[in-house]
Amino acid sequence: MGGVPAGAAASPPPRSVRRRRAALLLLAAGVLLVVLSPLVGPVAIPAGTVYALLAHGPGAVGSASTCGGAAVSAGQCRIWAEIVWQTRLPAMILALCAGAILGLSGATLQGVFRNPLADPYLLGLSSGAAMGAAILFVFNVGISEAGVLLPAFAFLGGLIPGLVIFVAGRTGRRSPETLLLTGVALSALFSSFLATFLIYNPLGDLQVSFWLLGGMSDASWLRDAIVFGVVLSVGAVLSVLGRELNLLQLGEDVAQSMGVPVQRVTLVLVLLTTVGTATAVAFTGVIGFVGLVSPHIVRRIVGPDYRRVVPLAGLVGGGFLLLAWDAAQSILPPLVLPVGIPTSFVGAPFFLYLLYRRRATSMGAL
Amino acid sequence: MTPAPPAALTATNVTVRYRAVPALTHVSLEARAGEFVALAGPNGSGKTSFIRAALGLVVPTEGTIAIGGVPVPELSLAARARALAWMPQEEPAGDNVSIRDYVGYGRYAHSQRFVPEGVRDREIAEQILRDFGFAGRESVGVQELSGGERQRLRLARVLAQDSPVLLLDEPTAHLDMGYQLDLLERVHGIARSQGRTVIAALHDLNLAARFADRIVVLQRGRKVADGAPAAVLSPALLRDVWGVVADLRRDERSGLPYLIPRLPVLEVVPPDRSRGLRVHVVGGGGSAAPILHALVAEGHRVSLGAVALFDTDSETAGELGIPTATELPFVPLGDEVRARNRELLQEADAVVVAPFQVGPGNVAVLDDILQVAVGKRLYLVDTGVAGRDHTGGVGTERLRALAARSVRVLDSADLLRALASASGSPAAQSDDADRGRVRPLERLEKPR
Repeated sequence: MGGVPAGAAASPPPRSVRRRRAALLLLAAGVLLVVLSPLVGPVAIPAGTVYALLAHGPGAVGSASTCGGAAVSAGQCRIWAEIVWQTRLPAMILALCAGAILGLSGATLQGVFRNPLADPYLLGLSSGAAMGAAILFVFNVGISEAGVLLPAFAFLGGLIPGLVIFVAGRTGRRSPETLLLTGVALSALFSSFLATFLIYNPLGDLQVSFWLLGGMSDASWLRDAIVFGVVLSVGAVLSVLGRELNLLQLGEDVAQSMGVPVQRVTLVLVLLTTVGTATAVAFTGVIGFVGLVSPHIVRRIVGPDYRRVVPLAGLVGGGFLLLAWDAAQSILPPLVLPVGIPTSFVGAPFFLYLLYRRRATSMGAL
Repeated sequence: MTPAPPAALTATNVTVRYRAVPALTHVSLEARAGEFVALAGPNGSGKTSFIRAALGLVVPTEGTIAIGGVPVPELSLAARARALAWMPQEEPAGDNVSIRDYVGYGRYAHSQRFVPEGVRDREIAEQILRDFGFAGRESVGVQELSGGERQRLRLARVLAQDSPVLLLDEPTAHLDMGYQLDLLERVHGIARSQGRTVIAALHDLNLAARFADRIVVLQRGRKVADGAPAAVLSPALLRDVWGVVADLRRDERSGLPYLIPRLPVLEVVPPDRSRGLRVHVVGGGGSAAPILHALVAEGHRVSLGAVALFDTDSETAGELGIPTATELPFVPLGDEVRARNRELLQEADAVVVAPFQVGPGNVAVLDDILQVAVGKRLYLVDTGVAGRDHTGGVGTERLRALAARSVRVLDSADLLRALASASGSPAAQSDDADRGRVRPLERLEKPR
């Protein structure tokens, strides 16, 4: 018998077959997505050239032969190499990592608050983080020079909604809607602060407005490194706490009676979610619904066990945001849309679907 | 006798307050290993508060609860979970996890992070799944089970915690009879065979009497009884604590007490006294009960005469708050009781003779009516005297004499009409909807 107590019995019931098929399909789609994404961008570069440049590694920049033929000048090739290695690839990695963070955070928040509609964006974490980061702009610090200060300030801003929902989500038997409405109110509050900062915006910087709309355009290897580090560390801890999340689904009192230090675990989970969301927001702006949609896709495939839902929601979230980023660049070329637009196109109807399905199904008592 | 096993759970003088409202007041309780203790009491009597205090979910303002001698707050959460397992009355619906995973949750406090699952954990979970009839269905989702099976599965999860003390809060709520018995049989068997202590809040006293070794009765946060079911359950306790009237019987096969709670007690909307008549009813053996109800409902001031204690009529009178002359059961009427009855007869405007059985013990009542109730309006509820006389003629004679001076009515409705028409009492014309209307109540106003 393996280590995972999954339903890997001799004759698997049809559901598990369907699930396995869906998982394989999703995996194949993910691989295809990663393979095709370097081809997407406002500048048209022949597919062969892109792969040739990638195959040469980051150092190989320049000669026309790299770009596959005499038709391409060395200068042209250098620009393409620059685009592939310094723009497209970092943007892809940023999208994967930020999406992973949002997916992990969404799954965690849904588990902590036993609320299938929870999401860092809907609960106001994202707008709090955005407001925190925007404080930097007031002090004349531009996005490009902010460096690590940007996620740090975003974290400080995210702490406010983080602590508010920590308290609001736990006290008493509130309806799931209460938590969401708290998030709506927080979002509105932070958005108005944010708007004030941006109107004041001494830099007069269009970049700031664009950052706010969300996108991977400011990606760099340094940022990728930071986000990657956060994804690994936050993701590891969140995934390890999947057992506790499972028990929390029985109610906080029951979880505690079974030995879970509920207060501490919940605080850690919410704080880590805040750290993750803040980092994602700092580098990619406010992006909605990735955290909402990803865990639900995962549950469809692997069931409700949070030990699996949390890490896999990270994977799916990464893929989802990368897909959204590709879409943002492809819908109205050569314009690059804010990446929040395609995620909302998918996520908002999905949110409504969840909301009304939830109302329709009666909640059994267990 | 073997020496009593050590106390698994000891509550000493526990007081719990929510804000200022006391939920438990100075409750002390001891449960030994292998003992099944039922916590009984009306809603809000403190059963759940006691369980939550034992779990450390609420902190007593006074007193301590100790498990195996160690006060609960001194135990780490994991140690608590290994000592006490809790099945709350209600839980969130939760996720549709597999039966296998769900029972495995119970092993949380025994397992370590990064060590996936010990052999022992798996064995315990698998044993429980087999015992509980879930073998072969381990990968079925918990939400696909019926309500009864889910409750059984919750018990399985609680048992997987492998704790010496089990705290069950209304484990049989919402279950049908079969599942109630099934669940409590299992709990009972586990307490017996594994020496685990069970403390279960149970509303159903018959189930409590059947399965528990002891019943602890709580009332408004105080312990009012503690002992073997047969010793604890008494009509007086049921009346005082639950405000119900119950017949207590003994099951001949098991020798255990069981009870049949009777009709909800009635509350009478205070009638307009000025409209009613002063009516004295002479009855016994339940013959007067419908008449009493009818008269009270109509707004008359009613009294009852010369009946035995515990007689249906005297109990009905007790429920309706009717002044009554009562004698001890199975003895002839004493002088004192007769005097009291005569007093009531004298005060009455009208006297109603219910169709009671006349025997040597109570024939004197008829004499009293004939002597005292001179000039009063007499009503004989009767269709004849045949078969009612057990005195060998005296009773028949007295009844005939009474009949000669009485208005004979067929039943209580007939009686009300006769009373109304004779006096021109406003009750006859009154169609005032609420006056004197009898309204069923769940239970009596409890004594403060």
